[in-house]
Amino acid sequence: MISDRIRSNLWQTFRKSLLPKLGLVLLASIVFMAVFAPVLATHNPTRTGYYDEQGAEYPPLGYEYTTSVADDGDIADVTVEPTTEHVLGTNNVGQDVYSRFLYGARVSLLVGLLGTALAVVIGVPIGLVAGYYGGRVDDGLMRIADTMLAFPALVLALALIGVFGESPIYVPDPIVAVGLVDGMPDRIPIPGTVTIVAGLVTWVWFARVARGEALSIRSEEYVKAARSFGTSDRAILLKHVLPNSLTPIIVLATIQVAVIILLEASLAYLGFSGTTLSWGYEIERGQDVLRTRPWVAMVPGIGIVLAVISVNLLGDWLRDALDPNIEGEGR
Amino acid sequence: MSMAKFLVRRLLQGIVVIWGVVTIMFGLRAVAPGDPANLMLAEGATQELVEQVRREEGLDEPVYVQYLDYVRELVTGDFGYSWQSNREVEAMVIERIPATIELTIAATIVALVIAIPLGVISATRRNEPADYGATMFSLLGISTPNFWLGLMLILVFGVWFGIPYPTFGLSWVSLASISVPFPSVGFYDFPTGRRPVGFGEAVRTLVRYGSVYDLLVWLKHIALPALTLGTYFTALITRLTRSGMVDELGKPYVTASQAKGLPSVLVRYKHVLRNTMIPVITVLGLQMGTLMGGAVITETVFNWPGLGLRLIDALGTRDWPLMQGIVVFIAIAFVTINIAVDAVYNYLDPRVSEQ
Repeated sequence: MISDRIRSNLWQTFRKSLLPKLGLVLLASIVFMAVFAPVLATHNPTRTGYYDEQGAEYPPLGYEYTTSVADDGDIADVTVEPTTEHVLGTNNVGQDVYSRFLYGARVSLLVGLLGTALAVVIGVPIGLVAGYYGGRVDDGLMRIADTMLAFPALVLALALIGVFGESPIYVPDPIVAVGLVDGMPDRIPIPGTVTIVAGLVTWVWFARVARGEALSIRSEEYVKAARSFGTSDRAILLKHVLPNSLTPIIVLATIQVAVIILLEASLAYLGFSGTTLSWGYEIERGQDVLRTRPWVAMVPGIGIVLAVISVNLLGDWLRDALDPNIEGEGR
Repeated sequence: MSMAKFLVRRLLQGIVVIWGVVTIMFGLRAVAPGDPANLMLAEGATQELVEQVRREEGLDEPVYVQYLDYVRELVTGDFGYSWQSNREVEAMVIERIPATIELTIAATIVALVIAIPLGVISATRRNEPADYGATMFSLLGISTPNFWLGLMLILVFGVWFGIPYPTFGLSWVSLASISVPFPSVGFYDFPTGRRPVGFGEAVRTLVRYGSVYDLLVWLKHIALPALTLGTYFTALITRLTRSGMVDELGKPYVTASQAKGLPSVLVRYKHVLRNTMIPVITVLGLQMGTLMGGAVITETVFNWPGLGLRLIDALGTRDWPLMQGIVVFIAIAFVTINIAVDAVYNYLDPRVSEQ
C-alpha cells in the first residue's frame, strides 16, 4: 500500500521545505498539550472564582489594567496587576485561562479526528460503490451528494443540532483515572452531536473523491483481469479499488480535520456545542469583555489558528508529495 | 451538446436538488422533539387551544399528507407563517436578502481585488520574499476562524486605534445599555443615531440629492464585515491563482509566444491569467455554501441585519417555518449561482459542455 516511491516522495518533500517541519512540531506540541492537559494545567479549568482581593479578574503576565469594582456599594477604580499564579490571566467568570486553553485543545482535536473518521466511514463506501457501478446507482448517489452540497455545512449542522439537541458525552479522563493528578475534572465532555454532525456534513467530499478514483480504477487492466477470473465485485472493491484510491482520501482527510476543527469552533461560538470547555465557546465569552479584558477572546483564538495551521501544513505536505487530484476543499 | 441544452439539464438537476433540500428539512422537522403547537402558543395555553391550533395547522394529519401539503404550498410560493411573530415567512426572508447580498458581494470583491494580483505576483516571483509573504498570508487566511477574525478587527480598529466613528458593533439587544463597548453596526450609525441605509438607498440619495453621506456611512459599516467574510476567500483564491499560474507558465504556448516576441505582460495577463481563472471559478462555485455559512457567522459577530442573523434567531426560538424558508432560499440561491458558474465556465472553456 505504501510503496517505496511514496515513502521517498514524502521524505524528499519533507526535507526540502521548512513548512512541513513547522507543521509537525506544532501539531506534536498541541497533541502533547491535549493529552497531558491535566498534568500541565495549573488550575481546575472548570472552577470559577479565581479573582484578586477586589474581585477583579487577573490579566495575563505583562498586562496591567484598570477596572471598576463595586466596593461596599461604591464603584471604585482599581488597577489589577498580573500574577504568576495565573500566567494567562483569568476569564470573566474567574476561571484560569491557561488551563482552559489546554483543555480546549482536547475538544478541538477529538472532534476533528472523530468527525473526520465518521465522514470517511460514510463517504468512502458510498463514493466507491457509486463510481464502480456507475449508471443509475451513481446518478442517484451523486444527486444525494449534490443535495448535501447545496446546504451550507454550517446551516445543516445548526438544523441537525436543533433537532437532536447538543448531548455532550462525558468520558472519564484517563490521566486522572490512573491517579496521576489531583483536583482536575475526572470526566471530560465531548460534544456528541457536533461530532456526528461534523461527519454528516462533510462525508460528501469523501464520496466525491472516492467516486472519481473508483471511476478511473474500474477501467484499469488489472481490474478487468480480476473480473475475468470471476472475482466478486465486493472483493475487487476491497482488494483493488479501495487500496488504490487511498492516497487522495488520506490527503482529503487531513484537510478535513482542519475544516472540522473550524466548524466545531463556529458551533461552539454560536452556543450550540454542548460543552463550555471549548475554544469557540471561550471566544464567545470573551466577546462580552473584549474592550476591557481582550485576552479572554484572544488566547483561545490563537489556539484555534495554531491547531488549524499545523494540520493544514501537514495536508499541504501530503498533497505536494503525493499529488492527488482533489477538487475543492470544503469547509 | 449545445449551451441551451446543457443549461436546461443543469436546471432540471437543480430542481431535484432543491426538492431534496425541502424533503430533508421536512424530515428533520418531523422527527424534531416537541409539539409545534406548544411552540406556537404562549405557555399555559389551554388544551382546547392547543387542539384547535393542531387542527388548523394540519398537525393531526398523517405525516405524508403534511409533506404533500407542504410541498404543494412551497410550489405555489407559500412559505407559511412564522410561529414566533406570525408574519409571512416570505416577507421575513425577502427583507433580509439585500443585506446578505451586499455583504457577500462586498466580500467577494475584497477577495478578488486582493487575491488575483497577489497570486500573480506570487507565481511570477517564485521563491522570492513576495512569494513567501503571500504564501504565509494565505495559510493564515484559511486557518483563521472568521468570527475570531471579526472580533480581533473590532479590537484593533475600534479599541486600540479608537477610530472616531464607531463602525461596528456586537449586539443590537445590548444597545439599550450605554456601557456596551460598541454600538450596533447593522441597525444604527452611532454618532448620528441614523439608521444606516442599504446600498440601493445610498445610491438613490447620491443621485437625487448629490450627497455621498449615506454612501460613506454604508461603506464604513460594511468595511469590517466584508473583510472578515472575505479573508478566507482571499486566501483560497490566492493559493489557487498561484498554483494555476505556475502550471500555466510552464506550458509550451507561453514559451512559444515569448519566442515570438510577444510582450510578457500581454502573455501573462491575457492568456495565462485567463486559463488560470477556469479552476478558480469552479472552486468559487463549489465554495458558495462556505460563503453563505460564513455569512451566518459574520452577520452574528457584526450584528449585520441579513438572512444569517435571522436564521440564528429562528434556530434559537425553534421557529421551523422561518428556518425552512431561509434554508430553502439558500439552497435555491446556491443552485442558481452554480448554474451561473457553469455557464461562465462553459464560455471560458467550450470543451466542458461537450463532455
